Amino acid sequence: MRRPLQVTLLVLSGLGLLHASLFTDLFLRYVKEGMRPLLIASGVLLLLLGVAEAWATPAKTHGADHPERGHGHEGDVRELGRGGDAQDPGDEGGAHDHGGHGHDHSTVPRVAWLLFLPALSLLFYAPPALGAYTASREAPKAVASGQRHFDPLPATSPLPMTLTDFTRRVQQDPSGAVRGRSVLLTGFVTPDKGGRDTWYLTRIILSCCAADAQSVKVRIHGTPALPANTWVSVTGAWHPGGTLGTASAPADLDARAVRRIERPINGYTDDLPLVPSR
Amino acid sequence: MQKTEVLAGEPGATPADPAHSAAARAGEAPAHGWPRFWPALLLGAAVLPGAVVFVVGRWSDGQAFQAWRTVCLAVTVQALPFLLLGTALSGAINAFVPAHVFSRLLPSRAALAVPVAGVAGVVLPGCECASVPVANSLISRGVTPAAAFAFLLSAPAVNPVVLTATAIAFPGNPAMVWARLLASLVTAAAMGWLWLLFGREKWLRPTVRHTGHRPGHSRWTEFRQGFQHDFLHAGGFLVLGAMAAATFNVTVPRTVLDAFSGSPWLSVLFLAALAVLLAVCSEADAFVAASLTGFSPLARLTFMVVGPMVDLKLIALQAGTFGRAFAARFSAATAVVAILCSTIVGGILL
Repeated sequence: MRRPLQVTLLVLSGLGLLHASLFTDLFLRYVKEGMRPLLIASGVLLLLLGVAEAWATPAKTHGADHPERGHGHEGDVRELGRGGDAQDPGDEGGAHDHGGHGHDHSTVPRVAWLLFLPALSLLFYAPPALGAYTASREAPKAVASGQRHFDPLPATSPLPMTLTDFTRRVQQDPSGAVRGRSVLLTGFVTPDKGGRDTWYLTRIILSCCAADAQSVKVRIHGTPALPANTWVSVTGAWHPGGTLGTASAPADLDARAVRRIERPINGYTDDLPLVPSR
Repeated sequence: MQKTEVLAGEPGATPADPAHSAAARAGEAPAHGWPRFWPALLLGAAVLPGAVVFVVGRWSDGQAFQAWRTVCLAVTVQALPFLLLGTALSGAINAFVPAHVFSRLLPSRAALAVPVAGVAGVVLPGCECASVPVANSLISRGVTPAAAFAFLLSAPAVNPVVLTATAIAFPGNPAMVWARLLASLVTAAAMGWLWLLFGREKWLRPTVRHTGHRPGHSRWTEFRQGFQHDFLHAGGFLVLGAMAAATFNVTVPRTVLDAFSGSPWLSVLFLAALAVLLAVCSEADAFVAASLTGFSPLARLTFMVVGPMVDLKLIALQAGTFGRAFAARFSAATAVVAILCSTIVGGILL
C-alpha cells in the first residue's frame, strides 16, 4: 500500500470515527454510550497519525539515502523511495520479490485495504441499528431472577415501566401487584410469526456492542400490529394467564391504546418511557 | 440413469483438472513465505461470507445483510480504541524501552518467566485486541516467546476491568470471579510451558520489523512508524475477524443454544465453540455468559475462559502478526488446554 493511500486510510478512519461519535450519534447504533470518549480520542489519534505521515513525506523525497523510516532494510527503503515517488503499479508486489522472505516490512500488507470498509461505512453508508429482524431471531433475554423484595408499585396511572421490570413483576413478584394495573410501555414492533392478532413490543439491549444484542419482549394482544420497527408506546393491562408471580405467567399485555413515538436517541436501552402526559 | 450421469460428469471434470493443478502449482511457486495468491484468498474469505449473507439477504428483504453490516461494524468500532491502545503500546515498547529492562524484570529461567509474565497480564487494562501487538513487540525485545504467549493469553482475561465486569455480571457469586481468574492464569501458564516443551521457532514469522531503537534515528519517528504500521496491519485483520464473527452471529440464531443446554458435557463443548465463533470482547463476555441461563455454571465459566484466548477475530489477528502456521497450532492447543483447565478449576470451585 503506497504512502498516500496510507495517509488517506488513516485520515478517513479518523474522520469516520469522529463523524460517528463527535458530530453525530451514529455510534449509538453499534456500541454503548460510554464508548464515546474512547472513540473521539481514537478518531483524533488516527487523524494525527495521518497528518504526521503526510507531513513526513516531503522529508523523505529529498534523498533515499537518508531514510526516515526507523525500521525496514536499506534495500526496502530505497525500493520504497523510488516506488513511492514514481509510478508504482505493482504496489508491494515488487517489494515481495526483492525482500526475499515474502513479507515486506516497510510497506503495509494488502489486508489493510479492508479498513476502508468500516471507514467509508461510517462516513457515507452507516448501517441501521438492529431491529425487528434480530429480535425475531433471538430468544428473549432471560430476566435476572433472585429479586426477593418488591416495593409496592407507585399509584400513578398509567404507570410507566420498563419491559424488563414489567416481565419481572409478572413472573417474580409474589404479591401480584401488577394485576389490574394500567401500565405504559415503550419499544419497537416485532411481528409475531406464530400468533394471530398479536405482536411483540421489543427492546434490544447491549452489554458491550451490537454483536451481543439481546432482546426483551412483551407480547401485545388486542390491537393490529403496526409495521415492523415502528417505535410505539402502549398503554394496557396484564393479559391474564398462568399463575401471576411465577414463571408460568406470560409477559403479555392487553393493549388499550397504541401511539407512535419518535425513536429514542439511544435505542439500545430499556429506559422508562419518557412520554409526556396529555 | 445414474451411470450415464457419472459418465457424462467425468469428461466434464477432466479438462478442469490440469487447470486446477496449474493454479495450485502457481500458488506454491514462491516456496518461501506465503503464496502469492494469499491476498486473493484473504479477500475471498472476507468477501464470501458477506456475499452469501447478501444473497440470503435478498431472499429475506435485505434485513439479514443490514444486520450483518451492523454487527460487523459494531465489532470493529468496539475494538478499534483497544487495538489503538495495544499498537501504541507496542510501538512505544519498541522505540522507548531498552531490551535489558525486560531481561531484568523477568526471571532468567524461561520456566519461571512464564508464570510471572502470566500474572503481569493484570496490568494491561483492555480486551484481547490490545494484547496481540504488545506480545509481538515483547518477543522482538528479547522476551522469550513462551513468556510473551503467557502474557498474551492472560492479559485480556485477568485485568481489573474484566474481573470487575465479571463480578457485576454474576452478583453474589464471587466464586465465579475467582474461578475465572484462576482458570485463565493456569491456562496461560500451561500454554507457555507447552511452548517451551514443544514450540518451534520456525512456526513464528520472523519479526524483523521490530528492530528496536537504532542509533541515529529519531525515537519519535520510530514510534510513529511502528505504531502506524502495526495499526494498519492489525486493523485489516480485525475487520476480517469481525466479518467472520458477524457471519456466524447473523446466520446462527441464538435459539439453537437451547438444544444443547441439557447435556452437561455437550454444553461445555458447545459454549466453548460459541465463544470462539461469537468473538465477543472480553470486557463484555461476562454479561453474555450471565445471560446464557440455561447452561451450567461450569459451561459458562468455560465460555469466559476460552473467549478471551481463542476467537475468530483473535485468530485473524494472530495469523496476521505471527503467521498462519503459528495461529492454527496455537489456537487449537489453547482451546483444548482452556477447556481442560476451566473444567478442572470449575469442578473444584463452583
